[in-house]
Amino acid sequence: MLEAKNLTKRYDDGLLALDNLNLEVKEGEIFCLFGANGAGKTTAINLFLNFIPPTEGTALINGIDVTKEPLKSKRYISFVSENVMLYDNFTAFQNLDYFAKLAGKRLLSKKDYRRALQKVGLEESAYTMRTKNYSKGMRQKLGIAILMIKDAPNIILDEPTAGLDPKAAAEFLDLLLEFKESGKAIFMSTHDILRAKYIADRIGFLKQGKLVMLRTQSELEGEDLSKLYLHYMHEHGEVN
Amino acid sequence: MLRDIIKKEILETITSPKFVFTFLLCVILILLSVYTGINNYTSELHEYNTAVALNKRNLDSQSDFGALLSMGTKINKPPQVLSSIISGIQEAVGRRATVTTSIDPNLIDSKYNSNPVFAIFGELDLTFIIKIVLSLFAILFTYDAIVGEKERGTLKLTLSNSIPRDRLILGKAIGGFISLMMPLIIPLLLGLILLVIYPNILLTGDDWIRIGLIFLMFLLYISVFFTLSLFVSARTSRSSSSLLILLFIWVTFVTVIPKAAVMVAARISPIPSVHEINAEKEEFQKEEQAKLLPEMTKWQQEHTFQGDPGNQEQIAAYQKELTDYIAEIQIEFNSKVEEHNALIDEGYHAKRLKQQMLALNFSRISPASALMIGAMSLGKTGIEEHERFLNSIRSYKPIYSEWATNKAMKSLDFTKIAEGKMPEIDISDMPEHNFKPESLRNSFARVLPDFFIMIGFIIVFFVGAYVSFLRYDIR
Repeated sequence: MLEAKNLTKRYDDGLLALDNLNLEVKEGEIFCLFGANGAGKTTAINLFLNFIPPTEGTALINGIDVTKEPLKSKRYISFVSENVMLYDNFTAFQNLDYFAKLAGKRLLSKKDYRRALQKVGLEESAYTMRTKNYSKGMRQKLGIAILMIKDAPNIILDEPTAGLDPKAAAEFLDLLLEFKESGKAIFMSTHDILRAKYIADRIGFLKQGKLVMLRTQSELEGEDLSKLYLHYMHEHGEVN
Repeated sequence: MLRDIIKKEILETITSPKFVFTFLLCVILILLSVYTGINNYTSELHEYNTAVALNKRNLDSQSDFGALLSMGTKINKPPQVLSSIISGIQEAVGRRATVTTSIDPNLIDSKYNSNPVFAIFGELDLTFIIKIVLSLFAILFTYDAIVGEKERGTLKLTLSNSIPRDRLILGKAIGGFISLMMPLIIPLLLGLILLVIYPNILLTGDDWIRIGLIFLMFLLYISVFFTLSLFVSARTSRSSSSLLILLFIWVTFVTVIPKAAVMVAARISPIPSVHEINAEKEEFQKEEQAKLLPEMTKWQQEHTFQGDPGNQEQIAAYQKELTDYIAEIQIEFNSKVEEHNALIDEGYHAKRLKQQMLALNFSRISPASALMIGAMSLGKTGIEEHERFLNSIRSYKPIYSEWATNKAMKSLDFTKIAEGKMPEIDISDMPEHNFKPESLRNSFARVLPDFFIMIGFIIVFFVGAYVSFLRYDIR
């Protein structure tokens, strides 16, 4: 489970990037966070990953305070960024092997890596190809394979469908639904309103660091999410 | 986990095109340098042996000791076997000195003098390759070690796992260092094999220890630039800035500081020019010569020949008295001039040595200078060895002068000269010039500060990189 309690971040230059964020992402739930560029989505992710310290409040992963016990908390989280960045001179196998070992999965074999790569739909010919020759979709698939290998109960995704073609994006979302089914808590920042509506259990709108809207999928039934988003982005508002 | 990070660093580097390029270039450069070094050494050894034999023949062929006295003897500097890897300053400072009774001996006829094209392009010795090429490679390998991973996004992905940052930086440092050492150590070992199998290269146990210390110094020097790059990489947020800063520091270390040190030393401790020194010596010599003539006239007036001009025995006795007197005043004159010149030279050399030491010590704040000074000292091709050799010739000069003057004076036999019989020249008892290269213990003591300077740099830069990375903003 992912939890933000009064999570606030003010940078050294005085910018309030995240203002008193309170939310929970439970096991088997997909939470999608929307917001314009600079709204604070990436700041929230950086706080969950303990890449930056919070000014106030706490970020918890499976009940572990990420600031107090960063290494312990990271055992329970997987992260995939918008542009999945890999070691370009390595093949898919080599990248998987390295990140698996970093995740503490030392006993996995090439067979396990092959299974993960098959699962994410990466073509067999790409397994031994250097990833510098990969397309964005292929990188994304390998990123998901890394995430699968780690098999953490919580997943954080930073704009994962940005730049993907419709087929690749659809395949990716199907995988997310599978993860959800297996009980993982998924926190995703995205601009992809259409697809988010299809998979998200809850949706939040972030504006200038503040969560201005938080609704469940059932509450959004019949709503035009794009219009709602534009409405919130053009007006000030509190969570409702 | 540390092992995995190290393994990944090595694998990532050795599978990159820049590694392949660097490795090949290092193999070519280092082997070429050792090969040309060996050839230079063997040709210098041949030249040396020929020059020594020629000098002996020249001395033997002199008609009399007077001619030998004015010609003097030539002392050739023996080439050092380690010059095949560290050419040092010996190509620039001369290989031969003429020892006469009057002039302060100095080494002339350098390789650069006889063929100035070498001075234009310099020597491709190992120190040059390590100082310039390998240090640049160390920068190019490491300038983006941290900041590059941040830019590529892999740092975020890595640190989203439960990896302590200290272990990550340690793994990156060890892995990066091992990868960087491969293009250095493998070609160096190949170079050593070349040295071993070459027939004219005879290395003693002392030489092997010196080679080991030189290679250790190379490793330390590369480590300085490696840790510096790691440090700068952990202090910057763009790899282009990191590279720019590192190139600036590299230029400062490799060219600016050594040259500035020489200029600063010349300002702090100036020395008179060689022309001023020579003018001072000549003036004294003229003064003494001017005193000599009235003295000789006075002696002749007091000791006119009063015997029977037909009595050969009396004439011979008078000539012997005259010869002894001339020899006596000539020796006295020579020793006076020598003594005075030695004093001037001593003062000049002391001042020059002080300036040299100042320049060398100032320049040592640059690891590039520490490398040059240290490697040359260990290779016995540095400035100290040159000074020691010059001193050995200077010490030899009065010994030779005394011997040559005595011989010349004793051979003055007017009776035989009048008969047209020149005395035969015999140089079998000529004192030999001896030069013993610096002992390993002394060389090591001399280079110890250079080792400490480099280790100091490594510690400072590594601790800087370590601390910076613990606080590094990976966003």
